[in-house]
Amino acid sequence: MAAALGAVGRARPLLRRALSGAARPPSTHELREAEEAAPVFQYAGKAARRKDRVFVWGFSHSGALGVPSFVKPDAGWKKPRRIQPTPYRLETEEKISSVACGYGFTLLASDTTDITKVWGMGLNKDSQLGFQRSRRDQTKGYEYVLEPSPIPLPLEKPQQTRILQVSCGRAHSLILTDSEGVFTMGNNSFGQCGRKVIEDEIYSESHLIHQLKEFDSRVVQVVCGQDHSLFRTKKGAVYACGWGADGQTGLGHYNTTSVPTKLHGDIAGVNIIQVSSYGDCCLAVSDEGDVFGWGNSEYLQLASVTETTQVNVPRHLPFKIGKIKEAACGGTGNVVLTEEGNVFVWGYGILGKGPNLIETAVPEMIPPSLFGWSDFNPDIHVAHVRCGLSQFAALTNRGELFVWGKNLRGCLGTGRMEDQYFPWRVTVPGEVVDVACGVDHMVSMVKSFI
Amino acid sequence: LNAAPRRPPRQQIRFLPTPAPGGGGAVELVPTRVPVLADHPLVRGPRFKRLKVGAGHRLDVKSSGVFVLGVGHGNKLLTDLYNCHMTKVYTVGGRFGKATEDFSDTGKLVEKTTFDHITREKLERILAVIQGTNHKALLMYSNIDMKTQEAYELAVKGLIRPMEKSPPIITGVRCLQFALPEFQLEIHCLHETQQYLRKVVHEIGLELKSSAVCTRVRRTRDGVFTLDDALPRTQWDLRSIQDAIRNCRLRVETELERTLG
Repeated sequence: MAAALGAVGRARPLLRRALSGAARPPSTHELREAEEAAPVFQYAGKAARRKDRVFVWGFSHSGALGVPSFVKPDAGWKKPRRIQPTPYRLETEEKISSVACGYGFTLLASDTTDITKVWGMGLNKDSQLGFQRSRRDQTKGYEYVLEPSPIPLPLEKPQQTRILQVSCGRAHSLILTDSEGVFTMGNNSFGQCGRKVIEDEIYSESHLIHQLKEFDSRVVQVVCGQDHSLFRTKKGAVYACGWGADGQTGLGHYNTTSVPTKLHGDIAGVNIIQVSSYGDCCLAVSDEGDVFGWGNSEYLQLASVTETTQVNVPRHLPFKIGKIKEAACGGTGNVVLTEEGNVFVWGYGILGKGPNLIETAVPEMIPPSLFGWSDFNPDIHVAHVRCGLSQFAALTNRGELFVWGKNLRGCLGTGRMEDQYFPWRVTVPGEVVDVACGVDHMVSMVKSFI
Repeated sequence: LNAAPRRPPRQQIRFLPTPAPGGGGAVELVPTRVPVLADHPLVRGPRFKRLKVGAGHRLDVKSSGVFVLGVGHGNKLLTDLYNCHMTKVYTVGGRFGKATEDFSDTGKLVEKTTFDHITREKLERILAVIQGTNHKALLMYSNIDMKTQEAYELAVKGLIRPMEKSPPIITGVRCLQFALPEFQLEIHCLHETQQYLRKVVHEIGLELKSSAVCTRVRRTRDGVFTLDDALPRTQWDLRSIQDAIRNCRLRVETELERTLG
């Protein structure tokens, strides 16, 4: 027996070597040690800068969004995306400082001193994006530009001049520089490019870019209406040229003007700090907070001063809503922003106060609670207002974008295709700095959060 | 509770035979008030043998704060309070620099990151975005047709709320304290769970290009019940419970009437 026990005793050490103890859960001490020994990752340093981004959404089939895969998918089985209903990031080479949306095309401008300062995409049937040489046939130009393509400008000092602002109308575009005046291109059948109307001129594949320099002082803002152009100078004067059948040139007649001419009427001698137009109606804001309007009034835009449907001389609009900071004109409705941060709308269409308010001649305020104001956040107010043809956009001081109006081909960016009757937030991954509204698409300049 | 004075026993009128005042063996029936024997305490026994206690909105093991209970007939009010869909307020504490598996500071470590680039301003920006997207979700899940005038009026007053089951929605966030690496938020929310709040803290950390864990979750208000109405452990006796029920009764009734009509 002793021998048998001895044999078992000798076998046991072998077994013990093969079977080590069962794994115990790590004790708190071991966990803390493992935690302290873990590596620390750094994703953003103290000097991390916020990045500037561009987001686009809306109707993409004209190429206006600048993403070629929407129109011509890179794989054969993929279907082209006609509408982009939510914001989509557009990669740009440079930091974009100014954006403008026209009727089916977009202009992006950067204030760099490099040679390429402006990029355009979308419809180019009237050379509103300049001459885009086709790669297949060197003599012809592209009619649809699907990607942001540089626009060659005839600058005298290309490495010193900076682009301040761009603006787009129905078939023409204006580019404002800091020292070389305004460059115009595109359709000129009504003189909206500021040069003489040539009969039977063919505008597509044209190399002609006109330069405008004769103003009383430096031009600080350019605005395109549907077929007319407005220029605001540093001295506070407003010049106009283009189609005037609705009186939108404000020069006292209903003819076309092919040379930028100064406006008089109620704005003579008034220091205008902002002009706005997109359709056939125009609004101007003075430094004292008054608003002046002229142009089309078929939709009650100017019905507070006159019963006529066309006003061809700037008239002061006597609204008692406070000092006005900014105004924006749409196709049928107008919106103004007061110093306190309140938004007032009037005109015709979906104005933003529910489906019952279709038209009004007197400005109506949109309640600030719709823009996120509440007892929890009492210091939210609207900082900018913008207008497209039948939609409105408002930017708050917290960088949120609210849109409302007719949702033409998904241009509101809400993700739905229905019209929006009151301000609705657009989810953009970043703080929205500026937004440009077109007929059926919108482009926004956004700063990332961190 | 059983020692409290009972209802007096029911009385009944019975015709009892009593000897006639005249004398002799004649028996007269005289009506007298007699207590019913069935109501006698020795027959009935103790009044309360069991109490039904129901719980309101859930509060998990790692959190603390206001926890609403219903006693006896109050359980019926619990369902009504649930259907009111009122917001709850939490104080959530977080700490930057760590990410764990279950989003709390006692979980298994996943990653450690730097956090010295975070400022209060960046945090408030992220909180504003969270509020914005949740406000959108609030309007979407409330199942009202956006094209009606009624929807517009409710949106203006801020009364649109989902009145049925919906994913968790945060109606308001505010930063109460910020001292790197710790921070404290006040969150007003609907239909949430405490683990969802911990996940929100983790996601805030990710958005700020760092990582965060949740150190504490404390419910400070559940509908009409606030911390002042809540009874701490030392006050779990009959008198305090009765006083608390009495104090809240009026508020609960008005709230139910206002919301459910």
